[in-house]
Amino acid sequence: MLEAHDITVRYGARLAVASVSLKLEPRRITAIIGPNGAGKSTMLRTLNGGLEPASGKILLDDHPLSSYSRRVIAQRIAVVAQEADLRFPVTVFEFVLGGRYAWAAGWGWETARDVETTREVLRETQLEELSGRLMNELSGGERQRAVLARALATEAGVLLLDEPTANLDLAHQAAILALVRMRCDRHETSALVVTHDINLAAEFSDHVLLMKDGKSIAFGRPDEVLTPELLKAVFAVRVLVDAHPITGVPRVTPVHETVR
Amino acid sequence: MTETRDLSLTIEHLTLRKTLFVCGVLLLLLACILLGSALVGSQSLPFTSSLCALAGGSNCGLSSEQQAILFDLRLPRILLAGAVGICLATAGAGYQALLRNPLAEPYLLGVSNGAAVGTMVALVFFGQHEWSRPVMAFGGALAATFVVYRLARGRAGATPERLILAGVIVTTFLSSGIVFITTLMDATRIRSFTFWLLGDLSGTTTSLLLITFIAAGIGVAVLALNARSLNLMMLGERDAFDLGVEVGRVRITVFVAASLLVGASVASSGSVGYVGLVVPHLVRLAFGSDNRVVIAASALGGAAFVILADTVARTIIAPRELPVGAITALIGAPLFVYLLKRR
Repeated sequence: MLEAHDITVRYGARLAVASVSLKLEPRRITAIIGPNGAGKSTMLRTLNGGLEPASGKILLDDHPLSSYSRRVIAQRIAVVAQEADLRFPVTVFEFVLGGRYAWAAGWGWETARDVETTREVLRETQLEELSGRLMNELSGGERQRAVLARALATEAGVLLLDEPTANLDLAHQAAILALVRMRCDRHETSALVVTHDINLAAEFSDHVLLMKDGKSIAFGRPDEVLTPELLKAVFAVRVLVDAHPITGVPRVTPVHETVR
Repeated sequence: MTETRDLSLTIEHLTLRKTLFVCGVLLLLLACILLGSALVGSQSLPFTSSLCALAGGSNCGLSSEQQAILFDLRLPRILLAGAVGICLATAGAGYQALLRNPLAEPYLLGVSNGAAVGTMVALVFFGQHEWSRPVMAFGGALAATFVVYRLARGRAGATPERLILAGVIVTTFLSSGIVFITTLMDATRIRSFTFWLLGDLSGTTTSLLLITFIAAGIGVAVLALNARSLNLMMLGERDAFDLGVEVGRVRITVFVAASLLVGASVASSGSVGYVGLVVPHLVRLAFGSDNRVVIAASALGGAAFVILADTVARTIIAPRELPVGAITALIGAPLFVYLLKRR
């Protein structure tokens, strides 16, 4: 379990995150939404130990995050970032096997268990048939699935996802988040998703943290947080919120003033 | 059924068995090249007698002149070529993984020139101490590595273009340093220095050879121990950090090890270019990008490559010789153009 208590993060003089608290519980997906520069990604990097908070504390399984080694943190927290460009040819299998790095036992060679875990994850993400292909031969959707697969291969109990569905089409967006949902339900995993897609957040998350200018504006269930008033305050755009006719979750539609 | 599964395993990812197999094959190849190189030259030596002598036999039928050619001229030179090849090829593989750039190479980054300046300073100011050459070369390589890394690193990381430009800046700056030091030398030594700058394997001593091999051993071992971390770092430092790599520690370790390799090689033989580009590239093409095999195979392949290149350099216009760097550049420069175009 990962908790943040009143954390503040600064880039030099600039305040990026201002005393935000957050608790990621097992089987729960939390979404962070907010405009560009709200501190969403900073929050995520801080929770993973990539940035040092100026004040406040982060607890991983009830102990301060800073008391763990890099390797142990990587065994317990996995990050799905947007894909970097790969300048060396690696196969999908090799790429996903990289998720087992933190579990290395002696001499730097993967164990049979590492290979087996990788195979399972490839099955789970439906990449089995592509495992021998090179990463840069894959489509955007397949590649993002491989990035997720590598994070799942760590078997970490906490998943941090930074805009995992950016640049993906509708079907692939849903597929990625469905995989995250499945992992949370089956493995007692908790997930944090930074996203710009409010409707996707409404559909897949249990809790939503709304951020603006580094501050936490609201936290709660999607139907509590995704209200016209709060969204107008954060995004400065008038929105229409109604219930999705099929799923019943809040559906957010911007109302652009220039359009009649 | 199990067989096809095993086969697919070897295609998808690297195993210890596959790495050992690759190394075994390359070792055999290296032995053949070493032997072949010992026999050819401005005077060719008889095959069986030389083999017998190399294996340690006493009455093999070689004349004392042939004996001297084999053991005093060719063998030290071949061994030095091998050591230089190990150093430069593995250093290249290390820089490439660390800078996330298949075009990174000690010579093109200016690191070789840094080591050359260090060596020349040692020669001019501490000429009587032989050990000062590799030490100063190491210092020069380390300084050049640091500067080129800082110059190349923009806000978005080291792009290939930035890296190559940084290499050009460091190289040209240090070249003027080399010219400056050359003017401090007396005229008789200048020609041998120009030759040395392009890579000269002829003037070795036992102690220098030993130092080069020790540095090669340490450098390769350190790189090999960090190979799995480098696998992740070459795909992105942030991702590597997230997956548990202590990025800062690995970066420093690999930079120091690569600088040690370049320093040792330049101190004993000058700047032999493009070895660090050609060899790791061919190795990746043949065996994949996993640094555990790339570093091991680059060491063996680098030794074979420089021994071959030097054999050509000393036989093609025999009895006159070319600097070995001229041959490696002849092969490497076109490959560099090809890699740059293909990106």
